[in-house]
Amino acid sequence: MQGQNISQYVEDPDKMTLYVHIPFCVSKCAYCDFCSFVPSHGDIAKYLQALYHEIDVRALEYSHQQITSIYIGGGTPSTLHNNAIYELLQHIRSRFAVLYNGSVTIEANPNSLTRAKAKEYFDAGIRRISIGLQSHSNRLLHLLNRPHSYRDFVHAVQYADEAGFVDISADVLLGIPTQTMQDLRGTLDRLLDMPLTHISAYGLILEEGTPITNAINSGKLIPCSESLANKMYDYTVDRLHKSGFYRYEISNFCRSGYPSVHNLNYWNRGQYLGVGLGSHSFVNGVHWSNTLDFAKYIKNPQDCRENVEVETIETAKLETIMLALRTEAGLDIKKYDSTFGTSFLNEYRDTIKFLLNNNLITINNFRLTVNDFNISNAIIEHFVR
Amino acid sequence: MSDRQKHIRNFCIVAHIDHGKSTLADRLIEATGTISKRDITEQMLDSMDLERERGITIKLTPTRMHYVFDGEEYILNLIDTPGHVDFSYEVSRSLAACEGAILIVDASQGVEAQTLANVHLALDNRLEILPVINKIDLPSADPEKVKHEIEDVIGIPAMHAPCISAKEGININSVLDSIICEFPSPRGDEDAPLKCLVFDSYYDNFKGAICLVRVVDGSVRVGDKIKFMQTGSTFDVTEVGYFTPAPTPCDTLLAGEVGYIAASIKKISDAKVGDTITSAVTPASEPLPGYKQVQPVVFSGIFPVDGSKYGELKDALEKLKLNDSALVYQPENSTALGFGFRCGFLGLLHMEIIQERLEREFNLEIITTAPGVSYHVFLDSGEMVEVSNPSNLPNPSSIAYIQEPYVNMHIYTPPEYVGAIMELCQQRRGEDANVEYLDSQRVRLDYVMPLNEIIYDFFDSLKSRTKGYASLDYELSEYRTSKLVKLDILLKGEICDALSLIVHVDKAYERGKVIAEKLKEVIPRQMFEVPIQAAVGGKIIARETVKALRKDVLSKCYGGDITRKRKLLEKQKEGKKKMRTLGSVQVPSDAFISILKID
Repeated sequence: MQGQNISQYVEDPDKMTLYVHIPFCVSKCAYCDFCSFVPSHGDIAKYLQALYHEIDVRALEYSHQQITSIYIGGGTPSTLHNNAIYELLQHIRSRFAVLYNGSVTIEANPNSLTRAKAKEYFDAGIRRISIGLQSHSNRLLHLLNRPHSYRDFVHAVQYADEAGFVDISADVLLGIPTQTMQDLRGTLDRLLDMPLTHISAYGLILEEGTPITNAINSGKLIPCSESLANKMYDYTVDRLHKSGFYRYEISNFCRSGYPSVHNLNYWNRGQYLGVGLGSHSFVNGVHWSNTLDFAKYIKNPQDCRENVEVETIETAKLETIMLALRTEAGLDIKKYDSTFGTSFLNEYRDTIKFLLNNNLITINNFRLTVNDFNISNAIIEHFVR
Repeated sequence: MSDRQKHIRNFCIVAHIDHGKSTLADRLIEATGTISKRDITEQMLDSMDLERERGITIKLTPTRMHYVFDGEEYILNLIDTPGHVDFSYEVSRSLAACEGAILIVDASQGVEAQTLANVHLALDNRLEILPVINKIDLPSADPEKVKHEIEDVIGIPAMHAPCISAKEGININSVLDSIICEFPSPRGDEDAPLKCLVFDSYYDNFKGAICLVRVVDGSVRVGDKIKFMQTGSTFDVTEVGYFTPAPTPCDTLLAGEVGYIAASIKKISDAKVGDTITSAVTPASEPLPGYKQVQPVVFSGIFPVDGSKYGELKDALEKLKLNDSALVYQPENSTALGFGFRCGFLGLLHMEIIQERLEREFNLEIITTAPGVSYHVFLDSGEMVEVSNPSNLPNPSSIAYIQEPYVNMHIYTPPEYVGAIMELCQQRRGEDANVEYLDSQRVRLDYVMPLNEIIYDFFDSLKSRTKGYASLDYELSEYRTSKLVKLDILLKGEICDALSLIVHVDKAYERGKVIAEKLKEVIPRQMFEVPIQAAVGGKIIARETVKALRKDVLSKCYGGDITRKRKLLEKQKEGKKKMRTLGSVQVPSDAFISILKID
């Protein structure tokens, strides 16, 4: 996998970002279908051992790539014991060529981010922290089976701030069953009073098999109506915009100068290496994901790649367009043309004409942007061959 | 009469769909040892897949069988007949080729409308009729009751009718014996000038059009010069023979015999059903009676789902036309659907068969527009224009009046459904109702009704209102003046020509409303609001709106899971490939079909 499939369609084949997955949580949220679970005794130690091993192997495989950004996500990385994250980052730096001053982010849950851990993370070189709030309403947090209260969140932000973090992000969830406009207004009121640089706002997705979906299917919960969810979204976009948060991607808002560098790499179709259970990677023209099977990962962490897919020029083109059109910056047409040795405007002449005629996209200064993020999926679909 | 002809019996089988015609034909073939049991695939005579699947026979394959009765060998020619009203002309020609007809009646279901229609055709052709009661193995069978019904309703003796089960092979020989005893032998004049009735034809890639014929007088052999009396064209006979049911060449076909003639006929339209073949050297003075030019009565547009497949559609229609002289088509250009063809059919079943064959045999995905009829439009100038495509309707201000085709319709039903049927017929502009109680079980309703109302899901509605018990038959009667208007459907303000219809003025509002509602259901939400309007003469009579798409992308694009996202997108797109873009609105191909199925 290494070497022979050097991607022809990425801008910086010598660079990649690193994602580290920590799959543990103190409890499973009612809407979550991500790769996470509540660990049994000994799971954490075994997992970290396997993870270190995978890091060692990958570092040898991808010794030519410099790591420009690190993201420790989950699950809940902050559930790990004190010093675990510090040691993990030390280990990563000792194995990979990590860009000095590169962005390092960690996800944290309000209840597990203690004062000590916030300090530990800062000392480990982490400069960005993303805290999952979802809502300020304890009623909704309970409904979502979140393991924390709004108070916990207030403390977590305070600890992060005290530890020296400037770049603090919070997640907000829209369209929760029983959530009202008043609930949402309350959440945003509070967030905008805090020292945050970044807010992610996601619509609740009812994934099959999750407790919340089951409750809705069996009639125990009434889902949020589409019109209310739309109203919440419009309100959020408007409110954040007025408060100085700039929307640089469909679901992400930041104060000027504080976008998530790590995520921008995804939208720009840069290379990334994922380590840990269920993580995704794209390096040297190959996509893959690690197994979701914990036992399998523990046993053989370096050899559990699944869904291996070698990119083709067609998939590369579509991904480039699909990802770029999620961002405010849009698609850089000149870059597309030089990457693929073609003319974007010729290739998609009819599609572009149709979308322009219906006032759905704008082309300005060789950048194509969608006029309404709300329907970007439908617009992007037109570029699928 | 020659001794040879005394040992020939030409007969057909008349039955309602499902009453077991094909099965009995198979049994007769088997019992006479025409082909060994092993070679019989179910229902030997139905050659096309489509026919077998639907269990109905469309094309006819005549079969020659040998049977020994009383120590003498007889030749039995079975001419199969299609069982649907669309093909009644073909049926009538097949009947004209026979001396006798077996009438199969289901021992539990009794006489049905279609049976009656064909029995009347047989009687008109002065055929001897042999009733056969089938499916006596079924628990619900009541042969005695059915025999009485045959005598009461049809008026032919039935007490000695063979009671059989074609499926189980019970009493098949009694049918064969009755054929010999009851049916007259042919009485042709071998020495008279040649007269052959063409009762069917098909196209063979190597031999050209093959005529299926009944030799009435004279004889025909390879090398003879023959002439078609209607078209006047002449050919040299290259092969004659009969079917066993495989084509088997022979030297001569003589008066009274049934077989085929090949004569390097390039076009199927030169071998018209009902025409008379005679000798080009010593022609007969008069053709056989009963020739009729078959006219299409139902029209619809056929377009390829993928516009680039126009050429393939054209080739496919040409190929189908080779075997089906009743199919007519001409190129049509729709602003909504692009290039396609306006096709004419004998009826709705014929239309469905052609559609299915295009899809199945030629692997084409097609869009079919609402079926319509041919209108006679009289202009102020006194000129008459035939219009079968709503888009071609002249400007209303120049129209004096419009006439539409009416049919005489006969419905047979158990008495409990009379009310429901009358209600349906009145809704569909049925007039001059006549109700006749045939017996305690059976009622006949006669109506004069616009054909336009029948082709629009009338049959399905009739079946659903009568739990499938009613049966229907109709024949074209005349053109009558009606108040007709063109109903347009507008999507996002633009007329979608492929959805236009000609309807009675009293029906326009209701139809427009229902179509708009239906379209709202089937058109997916788009990137912009799509108003759906129904209009008559520029006046909007109904409106629905497909709301714009919103917020379909609030989902978290989780980190590196880009492949999954891309695949979702590709899947989504695949689902939309079957969409047609009308103006800027994406409409699924099924939309055109779905609006036809509204009750």
